[in-house]
Amino acid sequence: MDILANLSLGFSTAFGLANLFYCFIGVVLGTLIGVLPGLGPVATIAMLLPITFNFEPVTALIMLAGIFYGAQYGGSTTAILVNLPGEASSVITALDGYAMARNGQAGKALATAAIGSFIAGTIATFLIALFAPPLAEMAMQFGPAEYFSLLVMGLIVSIILAHGSLLHAIGMILLGLLLGIIGTDVNSGAERFTFGAPWLADGIGFVVLAMGMYGVGEIVNNLEKKETRDVMLKHVSGLRLSWAEFKQILPSILRGTGIGSFLGILPGGGAVLSSFAAYAVEKKLSKNPIPFGEGAIEGVAGPESANNAGAQTSFIPMLTLGIPSNPTMAIMIGAMMIHSIQPGPAVLTEQPALFWGLIVSMWIGNFFLIVLNLPLIGMWVKLITAPYHLMYPVILVFCAIGVISINNTEWDVFMMAAFGLIGYIFGKLECEPAPMLLGFILGPMMEEYLRRALLMSSGDATVFFTRPLSATMLAFAAIALVVVLLPSISKKREETFKE
Amino acid sequence: MSSLIKHPKDFYAGLMYASVGAAAAWICRDYTMGSAVRMGPAYFPTLLAILLIMVGVASLIRSFFHRGEAIAAFAWKELGLVLGAIVLFGLLVRVAGLAIALILLVVISAWASQQFKLKTAVLLAVVTTAASILVFVKGLGLPFAILGTWFAR
Amino acid sequence: MKKILTAALTALVLATGAQAAGYPDKPVTNIVPFPPGGSTDMLARFMTQKMAEKLGQPVIVENKPGATGAIGATQVKRAAPDGYTLLTGSIGVWAVNPFLQKNLAYDPAKDFDLLTVAVRAPNILVTNPNVPAKSVGELVAYLKSKQGKVSFASSGAGSSDHLSIALFWQQTGTTGIHVPYKGGGPAISDLVAGHAEVSFQNLNAVIGHIKAGKLKALATTGDKRSALLPDVPTLAESGYKDAVVYSWQAIGAPKGLPEDVKAKVLDSMMSALKDPDVAKKLTDLGFEIVASSPKEFALFLQMELARWKTVIEVGHITLD
Repeated sequence: MDILANLSLGFSTAFGLANLFYCFIGVVLGTLIGVLPGLGPVATIAMLLPITFNFEPVTALIMLAGIFYGAQYGGSTTAILVNLPGEASSVITALDGYAMARNGQAGKALATAAIGSFIAGTIATFLIALFAPPLAEMAMQFGPAEYFSLLVMGLIVSIILAHGSLLHAIGMILLGLLLGIIGTDVNSGAERFTFGAPWLADGIGFVVLAMGMYGVGEIVNNLEKKETRDVMLKHVSGLRLSWAEFKQILPSILRGTGIGSFLGILPGGGAVLSSFAAYAVEKKLSKNPIPFGEGAIEGVAGPESANNAGAQTSFIPMLTLGIPSNPTMAIMIGAMMIHSIQPGPAVLTEQPALFWGLIVSMWIGNFFLIVLNLPLIGMWVKLITAPYHLMYPVILVFCAIGVISINNTEWDVFMMAAFGLIGYIFGKLECEPAPMLLGFILGPMMEEYLRRALLMSSGDATVFFTRPLSATMLAFAAIALVVVLLPSISKKREETFKE
Repeated sequence: MSSLIKHPKDFYAGLMYASVGAAAAWICRDYTMGSAVRMGPAYFPTLLAILLIMVGVASLIRSFFHRGEAIAAFAWKELGLVLGAIVLFGLLVRVAGLAIALILLVVISAWASQQFKLKTAVLLAVVTTAASILVFVKGLGLPFAILGTWFAR
Repeated sequence: MKKILTAALTALVLATGAQAAGYPDKPVTNIVPFPPGGSTDMLARFMTQKMAEKLGQPVIVENKPGATGAIGATQVKRAAPDGYTLLTGSIGVWAVNPFLQKNLAYDPAKDFDLLTVAVRAPNILVTNPNVPAKSVGELVAYLKSKQGKVSFASSGAGSSDHLSIALFWQQTGTTGIHVPYKGGGPAISDLVAGHAEVSFQNLNAVIGHIKAGKLKALATTGDKRSALLPDVPTLAESGYKDAVVYSWQAIGAPKGLPEDVKAKVLDSMMSALKDPDVAKKLTDLGFEIVASSPKEFALFLQMELARWKTVIEVGHITLD
């Protein structure tokens, strides 16, 4: 078996003392910056890159990779504990994770995230080891038409996310799509909706929007509920998952892993969709009596697994083809170049120790993460039982520093305050922010791919239907739309019959 | 008026969608429309804006026909203090520096709570600020001045 | 009251005087007007350590991204000319923005003390392997036969490789569909997959693909052949003399730097760029070290400004 030889090469590389040590440093650092909102893995890796000059190339990559997936992992912690999603995928985790925390189940939510991530990471590592090259080839089939159809499918699926009114879900998605378009247009370079303000030229930052809508909005929400304040987290039950609970979430973890592993490979926006898609699937399949959005454990298990699996498989295009699927991967490619390794298809054959060492280290890193984080859960949970009137000013400090550290401009702080206000008003109107955030992320991409597809086909709109992959996804989207609409139509009918 | 609107939440949400959509469509008139083949910068947002106006109108119409709860009262004091503290932080972080901006952020926002006690708040502010400076400026090396330009020579 | 004020002012004057003599007595900020991780950011970060050693003070890289570098550049323009604020910018910041951004708040030639062109990198003309052309001549014939239906990927509207495309079209009398991407990575991805056909890319970003046969290299835009691809001719050799294009990174400071400060900071940059370790890392990333003098930079900037002005006007390139 070739694969065994490869893996044993990987193990012997990854278990080198220096590699183990820096893998550990990487995941610890990653967890830390993940927990703190704002400073993301891209900035951290860029700042640390000069330090890795004197490392072996494989050691440098192992540490930088650890920062990346460690941060994915850490991000869910703050989303669950205090409703602060530091990145797109954590928005979904916050939905039911934070609800669980409010029900006194923060420990369980964190444990679910940890275990789900670990299982997903392990499976994804093996997927990379077994199928990396063919998977990468498959990802190449995705042209602009396919991406556009994928995003349409994602948006339709996200309507399932909303638990309130369908009309408002659509309204919020459209609102998000429009918000996402603020800034410089990729296709023409024109600035749109910026009112000539340079600080809007690159659009609104995701973290600014999420911190405002979720973090700040939620704080004001909590403050106005005068009687429940400070007691809401007094009764904390269950730090651990029971065997029955584990069995309950295992299918969700496996489904999430599948979805995340597949979507993570796609360089353009697939990774963002994975946790949204996993959530929608779980919501459809769940038999949990607790409704989604109010603390359903599957709503944490599925998306968290998808997120982590996607983080692992997003290495596939980078390692096998030298193509960066996200900004972090682009810096990793830079890191390879400064160590005189030319990224590209040849890395697999010319640098087998690096390739397999990195893959095995990802599994080790995931192991470190779970060993590190399971014992920490108790501490985290203790932290949020602190009186709320002492806790929320500290959350605000993290929000403020986090937001200003991204682009180094105070305008982002002002915008966060504005979105705090908007988020609060939306709460009063029962308009959910989650569909809006999805629209916000997907809006610019959708437009980019739509226009690129039409540009390349010289305006022939049939490309979306003549290319098989694209057509399949659009058909699936249409079916999903019918499935979503049918229950609400039949429900309406029921209601009319009742009257 | 209010007797006509049976579902105030739907009404105001609809108003919000429709007016945002209308504003976006209006602004888009300044951008190049292009054609379906070569879409200009205005094409896609105009399309979205029209859809948003439609959703808004639907929500408005619906608000006259089905009944819903009134909109809960706004907690103006809490809202003002929290948002004001954030804005003040943004205004002060360069000129007064991170230390003063953070202390004020904590103290003013803490004021929004009913359990507010100045002594506790100040203590919390000092501890949080010291810890933040240690972690973010000293530890992570973020480029913030602890004391701002007001205190520079 | 007046006395105190006078005393304070005297102290201030004395303090600033002492500052100039003892430059640097506090950390120097090097502003990169792009997010962390790009090539300009990497250049700045790689130079930091050696510069700091020479200056005896830390050098802090501060990312001020936005509006293709205009936000950071404007901030540096407004900073005090005391040597504590520097700007590391790309060709876009120095030579392209003035002709594409309507409300640009800085003038690259007038608002800065030009210090050094640090590095430059040639681009390479690459195609998907399925494009039936083995040379620049054949590509030109192919473009003419396709009558403008060949897609050219760039890393963004108004980017230096977009301008390379425009210049190439103007020099060869051809045209095509310009397809902008968000950065070089996605452009290369679509190029390898065959969704886009032709592009100008940084050599190091695509050399792996060229060697593996996933992309075809037709010419480099440099004035001589690349040591890494000795078989690939230059565009000049292929008959287009005026198509020599480099993308480059240069460092400046707010206008009015005192001469002694200028000499010190320039000296620190030279020692960084000429340090063998730093030079090796930069070369591995695909840069050629230039390390020009301020005079050379000024002359070079004038040439580049004139050239891109023409390309942009002739090509009717606008951002709308």
